[in-house]
Amino acid sequence: MSRTGWARWLVVVPMTLLALATIYPLIFTANVAMKTRREYILDRFSPAGVLHWENLATAWNSVGMARYVANSLVVVTSSVVLLLLIGSMAGFALSRLRFRGSGVIYLGCLAALFVPFQVIMVPLARIMGDAGLVDTYPGLVLVYVAQFLPFTVFLMTSYYRTIPPEIVDAARIDGNSVYGVYRRIMLPLGRPALLSVGILDALFCWNDVIISLLMMPSADHRTLMVGVTALRGQYSDDIPTFASGVLIAAVPVLAVYLFLQRQIADGVAAGSTKG
Amino acid sequence: MPLGQSSVRPVPTGRTDRARPGAPARRGDTRRRPASGGVRAERLAPYVLVGPAVAVVVLLRLYPLVLGVNFSFTGDGERNGTTVGLDNYLELFRDPLFRTALGNVGLLVLLLPVAVAIPGLLATFIHLRTPGHRFYRSVYFFPAVLSPVIVGAIFNLLLAYDGPLNAVLGGVGLSPVDWLGDPDVAMVTVVGVHVWATFGMGLVVFLAGFATLDSALLDAARVDGASLTQTIRHVIVPGLSRTIQFVTVTTMIGMLTSMFGLLYVMTAGGPEGSTYLPEYYIWIQQGQLNRPALASAASTVLFLIMLVVGLAQISLLRRAGKET
Repeated sequence: MSRTGWARWLVVVPMTLLALATIYPLIFTANVAMKTRREYILDRFSPAGVLHWENLATAWNSVGMARYVANSLVVVTSSVVLLLLIGSMAGFALSRLRFRGSGVIYLGCLAALFVPFQVIMVPLARIMGDAGLVDTYPGLVLVYVAQFLPFTVFLMTSYYRTIPPEIVDAARIDGNSVYGVYRRIMLPLGRPALLSVGILDALFCWNDVIISLLMMPSADHRTLMVGVTALRGQYSDDIPTFASGVLIAAVPVLAVYLFLQRQIADGVAAGSTKG
Repeated sequence: MPLGQSSVRPVPTGRTDRARPGAPARRGDTRRRPASGGVRAERLAPYVLVGPAVAVVVLLRLYPLVLGVNFSFTGDGERNGTTVGLDNYLELFRDPLFRTALGNVGLLVLLLPVAVAIPGLLATFIHLRTPGHRFYRSVYFFPAVLSPVIVGAIFNLLLAYDGPLNAVLGGVGLSPVDWLGDPDVAMVTVVGVHVWATFGMGLVVFLAGFATLDSALLDAARVDGASLTQTIRHVIVPGLSRTIQFVTVTTMIGMLTSMFGLLYVMTAGGPEGSTYLPEYYIWIQQGQLNRPALASAASTVLFLIMLVVGLAQISLLRRAGKET
């Protein structure tokens, strides 16, 4: 709707300002991370003259960030692999197989989608405690899988519904068992959906704090995001080092976003339009 | 894909062993073809495939919900395990912190239209091909992938009393605002940061909705010389009512359940308990104060709020959609 000049500017100027407001906080943080404490106190906005990369090393070494990153990587990778496996199996069965109870199971998954973690947090903590799984990697992985599985099943089911049933028929006629169809047909065909859902699941798990805080009480088992909260207490009077820690924690996600923003946005959009 | 959709409808029992939806009868002779397994294994296959998912969802999502409601009618501490009726609920509503939390939910409901309108308007502009729409799209979406902890930490720097935002305000002659220390301001600040971080999600969903909107309608509006506001009112809002509904409900759910990270990092419930939300209250009662039964009662209340808000919004929006 940019017919008249002033109307165009009425839209473009606020949109550009908003875009600036969206990126600037991160640029500010990156800039602060490159300053000395003295430079930060004297002038918060000026671009860092000499880049003090050593701040990153200080933050990295001080609170055991390496350990937190390793914890996060282990937990997120296992959770995503399990989510994609269990989710695609169920998605295939719910979309392309006929069996008694499939409707109820699909509805149950949909219902679970709308139960937020905070609502079931207390009893879940007790269940996991009774099972001896609190403060263990499998325990945290299991809770992540439970948390994001309904979403994964839902998206995989919608995706598999777009695959023509004739393909499944043909594979059956060729002598494949149901499992064979899953492994040789559905898994490879599902790759675009698995990629989108997998990235989203990975982001959810990587960004989480509340589940990790609840399930991993000991400092050794902290994930990266919980580690960032610890960083804050430690460097409350050393803002550049604190900003460096925040930057280190943000960079992996930013990198993923730069390379895979199409798939991330597609996954979010698919969750809203399908079903 | 109508063919695909029709084939997933439930079918009468007795054919449950077949993994070939819609297969015509003449293919019946291939029934026993699959080499491995045999008929019995084939019949069980769907259950084997959904089994893990069902086990996880039932044991770790649905069962805890029931357990929690049950739990909320028992006591804490010395009365652990005994039935106490509605005591937890009475205590909850007497607790000023929980009342603040509920009041803040009311604030979220009031701010909800803003949180939906921002991504909706931006998506409209982007869809109508403002110059640079691709750039805007990816910039606006990017905070949505950041962890609330990181967002909170960044805004802690920006909003500190002696921080950069107040320095800017001072530069133009305004007095500084205690963004996170003033009980009257802190909650609005945190919600503002949440909106900053999440409007990209709504934007992407709106754009997906626009993709399903009949572009002929927009062209017709343009030919008829409709203004932007007229186009929005008479073409976009009715055409996207389902999307608006979806964004409204998910934004509300997001506000009620995904601000924990921000609250934890930015205010820890303060100042003077002014930034409590039910989810934060549950966390404190369970994690810090060891009152799991009271926390369960709060969880049940949170669940009811979400149910009521969700259903109310759906019916309200459905009615609005019919009128236009």
